[in-house]
Amino acid sequence: MKKRLLIVEDEKNLCLLYREELTKAGYKVTAVMDADTALEQLKKHSFDLIITDIRMPGKNGIELITQIMALRKDIPIIINTAYQSYKHDFMTWAADAYVVKSASLDELKDKIKELVG
Amino acid sequence: MIERYNLFLHEFSQEASKELQLFSIIAQSFFQPFSLMDNLLVIMTALTAGPGLGFNRAMLFLTEGDCLKGEFWLGPASAEEADSVWRVLSTPGIGYPEIIEHNRSLLTREADTLTKRVKKLSYPLYKEPSLIPTLTASARQMILVRDARNEPGVDKRFAEMIGTDEFLCIPLVSQKEGLGEIILDNAITRLPITGRDIELASICGLMAGNYIYTAKLQKRIVDMKKVAAMGEMAMFVTHQLRNPLVTIGGFADQLLDPQTGEKKKKRNIQIIRSEIRRLEKILLRLSQFLRIDVREKIAVDVQEMLNLVLEQIRPRISGRRIAIDMEIEAGLRVILCDPTNAGEAVRNVLDNAIDAVGDEGRIDVRAYRESAEWAVIAVQDTGKGIPEAIKDKIFDSFVSTKEKGMGLGLAYVKRVVDACGGRIEIKSAEGKGTTFKLYFQTQPRERGTNP
Repeated sequence: MKKRLLIVEDEKNLCLLYREELTKAGYKVTAVMDADTALEQLKKHSFDLIITDIRMPGKNGIELITQIMALRKDIPIIINTAYQSYKHDFMTWAADAYVVKSASLDELKDKIKELVG
Repeated sequence: MIERYNLFLHEFSQEASKELQLFSIIAQSFFQPFSLMDNLLVIMTALTAGPGLGFNRAMLFLTEGDCLKGEFWLGPASAEEADSVWRVLSTPGIGYPEIIEHNRSLLTREADTLTKRVKKLSYPLYKEPSLIPTLTASARQMILVRDARNEPGVDKRFAEMIGTDEFLCIPLVSQKEGLGEIILDNAITRLPITGRDIELASICGLMAGNYIYTAKLQKRIVDMKKVAAMGEMAMFVTHQLRNPLVTIGGFADQLLDPQTGEKKKKRNIQIIRSEIRRLEKILLRLSQFLRIDVREKIAVDVQEMLNLVLEQIRPRISGRRIAIDMEIEAGLRVILCDPTNAGEAVRNVLDNAIDAVGDEGRIDVRAYRESAEWAVIAVQDTGKGIPEAIKDKIFDSFVSTKEKGMGLGLAYVKRVVDACGGRIEIKSAEGKGTTFKLYFQTQPRERGTNP
């Protein structure tokens, strides 16, 4: 049974890249471009892992994490961002991993494997 | 009943002592927006201004690393020169400003042999035995030399150069460090240096030391700010470049994968190309910001400039219910600015207004005279307003409320308006809207053209 990933990434091309690459890596991927759509998806479907950007139009990733916690869904979360500095943000402790975006997706793939197998 | 006095006194009463005037000149010089060296020149001038007060000549050394380096030497080079200079200086109407101007011109003159001589000097500070002049700086004590030629504590070459037996060395110090040294003498008049002279010189030395210390601290703060700004900038650029780079890298990897089909490869190349264009755009905006080059201010037709800006901005509001109104006061025709940059600055403000308004609202652009000298271009919107938390920071580079904003727009606006000699005022209420007022100088209103 394929593991289900929910990816929140507001950049169209990156969203496409993650969807393709993680599908290729053997996951069932839902990729959305903003936090509200992500929350809708979470209410409708069950996921094994959430990967979210932080800086996005509308609700940002930190707000999304807060709301996911309020939903009491016990789903591991990976923060995937261009910003190193958010690591010191109070709310990022709630995430299970913090990955700084890199041209190689290896670290992200490793973390996913670590968290959901 | 109150009486008001200017803190910066220019004229003194008859009873005011020479000492009081001297201290006043020196204290005021610290408020002059000139360079450190220029203000030190004022202090040194005050110490040597004429035969009636103070000393004939004054020499300045400043500490540079482990060395005491000669900076300049003020005073007449000979008795004849002293005679003519002092005669001019005692003419009624000649005050300190004129004397300072005279000395300033001396420093830049080729033939100024005194300064030329002292400029060559450099003494290591921590070499034993410590001789005069370095002894004063290292011991942080005033030293009065009475018989330089026969005094073994005086550096022989220095004694030869100064050419007089009696001189006074005053250290320039801060709380922590030695900053330099002033050496005073009466080589022309041969008047003995008195106890009163020493008392006077000690206060001047303390004031000068304090001033140098403050100036150095200020420079250090400016340097630190520059470094901090550069760090911020480097961080920002890193982030801006990361997303496109990740995209390019990821899709390039797919190209290398033999399983990727031709159609997908073509798509990937197109994505890569568009991301590279984006990178280029980011670099272009950054470099535009970094080298704002405000050319000479010229009289620019406000109507023409604003029309052009509005024309550029129209496409952005098509399809939205945003009304933009423009009103230019009939009496206002021109403002003084660099038309390209000022127009671009107004466009940036309008861009922000449109972002703030969203899908529906109104924006008023008004241009009017505030006074005879100042004109205002005001942009008022009914948008969401500036969040209280960032009100103080909106002109800083790289601060943005937009998730993908670069935070360069308003920083650019401020730099341009500053460079044009104007200023900016903002009124904003969260949820109600924002008004930006850009002040530009205008040509004075001509009589009779008033409608």
